[in-house]
Amino acid sequence: MSSLPAWLTDERLSADIEPLLRQTDAESLERLAAEAQAVTLRRFGRIISLYAPLYLSNFCSSGCVYCGFASDRKSPRRKLDVGEIEKELMAMKVLGIGDVLLLTGERTAAVGFDYLRRAVEIAARHMPRVAVEAFPMSVAEYRGLAECGCTGITIYQETYDPANYRDLHRWGPKQDFLERLETPERAISGGIRSVGIGALLGLSEPVGEALAVLRHARHLCKTYWKAGVSVSFPRIRPQEGGFQPSFTVSDRFLARMIFAFRVGMPDVDLVLSTRESSAFRDGMAGLGITRMSIASRTTVGGYVAADATSASQFEVCDGRSAEAFCAALRAKNLDPVFKNWDAAYNNPLASEASA
Amino acid sequence: MDSLRLGSYTFSSRLILGTGKFSSASAMIEAVRASGTQLVTVALRRFNREQLEDDLFGPLSEIEGLTLMPNTSGAATAREAVKAARISRELSGSPFIKVEIHPNPHHLMPDPIETYEACKILAAEGFIVMPYIPADPVLAKRLEEVGCSSVMPLGSAIGSGQGLSTAEMVKLIIRESNIPVIVDAGLRSPSEACAAMEMGCEAVLVNSAVAVARNPAAMASAFAKAVEAGFEARNAGLMPRSGAAVATSPLTSFLGAAS
Repeated sequence: MSSLPAWLTDERLSADIEPLLRQTDAESLERLAAEAQAVTLRRFGRIISLYAPLYLSNFCSSGCVYCGFASDRKSPRRKLDVGEIEKELMAMKVLGIGDVLLLTGERTAAVGFDYLRRAVEIAARHMPRVAVEAFPMSVAEYRGLAECGCTGITIYQETYDPANYRDLHRWGPKQDFLERLETPERAISGGIRSVGIGALLGLSEPVGEALAVLRHARHLCKTYWKAGVSVSFPRIRPQEGGFQPSFTVSDRFLARMIFAFRVGMPDVDLVLSTRESSAFRDGMAGLGITRMSIASRTTVGGYVAADATSASQFEVCDGRSAEAFCAALRAKNLDPVFKNWDAAYNNPLASEASA
Repeated sequence: MDSLRLGSYTFSSRLILGTGKFSSASAMIEAVRASGTQLVTVALRRFNREQLEDDLFGPLSEIEGLTLMPNTSGAATAREAVKAARISRELSGSPFIKVEIHPNPHHLMPDPIETYEACKILAAEGFIVMPYIPADPVLAKRLEEVGCSSVMPLGSAIGSGQGLSTAEMVKLIIRESNIPVIVDAGLRSPSEACAAMEMGCEAVLVNSAVAVARNPAAMASAFAKAVEAGFEARNAGLMPRSGAAVATSPLTSFLGAAS
């Protein structure tokens, strides 16, 4: 393996935030929450941008021990065809959704780049904003997606600890730590306007992971000044296979981590999905979190057939309807926003794309 | 009191409101009404014809006497801003366009080069062009030359609440400008809006300070009064500030006694 990038261990990139993460007392947590709320209010106001995931396929070529889609799981595999993708998008539009995240497993013969590009094309006809959470691609492939209307990608490193990473990814293309680590940079170079990163919390020691994510985000902001960067905070959920994470990430630590990121990166989107409970999501909305998923189905074809038989990637914890979730946000004096983007801006990022 | 002139339009209110960041469309509408503003800006991003509950354009267009100024927030290049402006004009029927081009989606600072290019095209197409710009006196003149109807220099970064941190540059822009100068972004309190008007701005644009106030409608009303007070004070003629300290030995004694 070629050598790790310098930013991964550059403590200067995270020194200001590390003390905030290492505190454990309730008083400092409360102070940090107040600061995070004030910073969020100034920069983002009272709005929460909403998106929803659309699982295109659960085929996968990798053996991630913690994932319900890993290629040794016995559950049936399927992928949506063009007509089914259209139907799912229609069902999502009925819910009001205008911002979709298309998901697949790792690249397989059944679900590769051409399939994904076609799905982006279809989605971009119906939704103002389309993002992709799939497999690492080349610069040229990302450029192809950007030209079809993909504005963002999400790619979690899962864990920033190379040794743990090796143990958790038993086979398949995802075994290459460095290739995955450099994926956001290839996406930006291909003209993708925004990249979402994160660690799957619970796989490695939480403070170390938080600091690595922070360094990664700051490295991207410094290096690619036009690219949007967002950070997600996925915590391991129960899934098929029964994996038990090595580290416990408490609600209090996760909240502290999110507050610290808001203070340390005042103007990036911080994202919280339906992996988390309704109580935690309602509590964190506006205290740093600015972007949330809604009415998520994590099964393939889950919007048309709510009782779909395919396995889910993970169990959704906040299972509320779009209406119920929006009502909870409004009760907190927050405005759930379904459309906060316009297709007029769905062009590849300017200079990076022409480079 | 004379009116604010922008293109062929005249407005008696000199407060322009932004419509993002509010807790709900109804809270925003209430603030717009309470402010007495006649001109508001709304992002194309927030036009939503598919889900009306999410749409900001619809409820604003129902307010009588209110002119809408779509903005291009989200655009990173001149090309995108021009495209967004054309779509906005189709959707809203308004000739106004607030050109906002911020290639960095985090700090949202306006790109002077792309803004200049977009304004040149849009002014030639007959838009009433209102560019959001860094407080740069040279850029302001270049934009006046290509036919912009105003320039809107930032007081400080969007959503920072740092007030008129660019005051000295804004004064230079005002001194040289033949088109209205409107401070946009960064204002936190009505007193800062008042100061901008006293300084010589023709109007101010406020969004975050109203949207995130505990009572947005009351804050909008307070800003309206401050803007009016500042404008009135300027027209009334502000007392000169006391000058530099007088030297203990007179500097002009060498001139001899007056004859």
